[in-house]
Amino acid sequence: MSPATPAAPALVRAPRVPAPWYRSWRAYAGLLLAVLIYAYGWHVTQIHLGELWSGARLIGPFVTALAAPDVVTRTPLAQQASAPLYYGGEIPPGPSGGGGPALRLSQPSGAIGQRVTVHGEGFDAGHAGTLWWENQIGQRQQLGSFHTDAQGRFDAAITTPDVQGTHNLVIAEVVTGYGPWRPSQTLGVVTARMIETVFLALMGTTMGVVFAVPLSFLGARNLTRQLPAGAAVYGATRLLFNVTRSIEALVLAIIFTVWVGLGPFAGVLALGVHSMGTLGKLYSEAIESIDAGPIEAIMATGATTLQVVRYAVVPQIVPQFIAFTIYRWDANVRFSTVIGFVGGGGIGFILLQYINLLQWPQAATALWMIAIVIGALDYGSAVVRERLL
Amino acid sequence: MREPVRGRSGRAGAHEIIREAPHPPMVEPILRVEHLSKVYEDGTRALSDVSFEVVRGEFLVIIGLSGSGKSTLLRCVNRLVEPTSGRVVVDGRDVTAASRTELREIRRGIGMIFQQFNLVRRASVLTNVLTGDLGYVPPVWAVVNYFPPSAVGRAMGNLERVGIADKAYGRASALSGGQQQRVGIARALMQRPRLILADEPVASLDPALSHSILKYLEDLNRDEGMTILCCLHFLSLARRYGTRILALRDGRTVFEGRPADIDDARFHEIYGERAEEVEIR
Repeated sequence: MSPATPAAPALVRAPRVPAPWYRSWRAYAGLLLAVLIYAYGWHVTQIHLGELWSGARLIGPFVTALAAPDVVTRTPLAQQASAPLYYGGEIPPGPSGGGGPALRLSQPSGAIGQRVTVHGEGFDAGHAGTLWWENQIGQRQQLGSFHTDAQGRFDAAITTPDVQGTHNLVIAEVVTGYGPWRPSQTLGVVTARMIETVFLALMGTTMGVVFAVPLSFLGARNLTRQLPAGAAVYGATRLLFNVTRSIEALVLAIIFTVWVGLGPFAGVLALGVHSMGTLGKLYSEAIESIDAGPIEAIMATGATTLQVVRYAVVPQIVPQFIAFTIYRWDANVRFSTVIGFVGGGGIGFILLQYINLLQWPQAATALWMIAIVIGALDYGSAVVRERLL
Repeated sequence: MREPVRGRSGRAGAHEIIREAPHPPMVEPILRVEHLSKVYEDGTRALSDVSFEVVRGEFLVIIGLSGSGKSTLLRCVNRLVEPTSGRVVVDGRDVTAASRTELREIRRGIGMIFQQFNLVRRASVLTNVLTGDLGYVPPVWAVVNYFPPSAVGRAMGNLERVGIADKAYGRASALSGGQQQRVGIARALMQRPRLILADEPVASLDPALSHSILKYLEDLNRDEGMTILCCLHFLSLARRYGTRILALRDGRTVFEGRPADIDDARFHEIYGERAEEVEIR
């Protein structure tokens, strides 16, 4: 083809190349706007990254506690002997005879600030022990520590402390070993509260289901269309769902604690109302997405609305309803852990207490419990839902 | 053979209603449709001034292209679709004027078979058949899913009749298409119908199965005198089974007469100039 061949500009037009972004003033305006927005956001949310470093020492004990939560405990096996030391000149009754460890004081009575020697015998050999002072109303303070010798004896000197009351007791305690490991008291408390939490979620979900199931039929457009005043019924039902769904369960819990008082019942009511809204919406949408064919077929047999619902609608929605309900219960367990923060019962209540009292090992126990139970429920509900759908 | 009345001009002829000789005057029609029109909410005009009568024992096949109004026409008969104007009279009862209670009573005497079978897929075959009896049992029984033993017996009988009694306790979704449609027939039979509406009963099936399904309808028509209104796509099937044919095009009747009278010219009036006839054997 010769170069003289004329081009055909009318037929072949080069495609218009869009201008590169850096040529467009809009790109710079957008960039500037984004910078302004994030600068204000940074300022208004008071982000101080330095706090993460300087505050680390405050949260340190908690992190340590997470590695060693208060889960198990064991009772120390102790040998104990005591001897009375009265202030104010009164002479205590003589020591009662008998085997085992015994304690002898250099004087049976005295006054504050005196030097008294303590002799003990009959203890297990070669153990560390602690000396305690117990006043008239059973309050203890530590006086010192000692070591038993090869014969199970020890000698120590104490200074009588400044206490109220006259009938005091000097106690020597030797820890010779530990009993078997057993669940700690915290674990018991946390477990009981976790069970309460799971049941709180169960009752709340059930309450939501009880109201949401019948209402959801009224909130389904394909069913209400056939009813007289269907549009009004549909609108009212959907409005109810949207209102109850949009109020956070935590806010509802605060309202209900005012109404029925602190405790799990307020939590059940809050979760119930919130679940009604969320489940009702999900149920209604499940009903709206069903196959209209069977409805038509059942209507053609001369069935009433009730029969149409029972035989054409219900069989199509049951698996989805069950799946949604399990998911909701699962979400409610997660949610009921924080409902306790506002006094709505459950594990959140004690978790908040542990944190406020800086009882980190106990708080760690509660957190681990929440994590494990929720993780298990999450997994379980996912398995069940997968089977259903 | 009588030459049908033609329109004045060729173009008008396509929409001219061509009527055959009227039925013998003594036979009481089981279905009378008068000036039926349906305009859907979106403005679609599905039916325009359709009138015809069906006498007892007829097998009336309604043909026409997709969207010609066949399904709408069938659904107007039992008011699954609410007609915009016109009247439908079934067995002397005005369907269009019926109250909800009356309508249910009329519906239970009209069996219906669907293109997509419209079975409740998760329910058992037996339950699907039993739903045909819903118009006859107290509605509250539905709450506990109770059907009287006599109904269960009849349902098993109807399943036997369509040859799938052994599948009674299986799920409807486990059946093949042909089997599902037979369940649909058994369900319609539970209604003890005098009139059966069949909306493209074989269109979703393997063409080879068409006859097996349509033969059931033919038997019901011939042996039990049930009147059948059946929409069909294929003219060959319409010719084979219909005692009379009603053709719709764009919601208007373009032909009403005996199957043998549909010649090439008629065929193109009904299906358009470009159509070509295919046959199902």
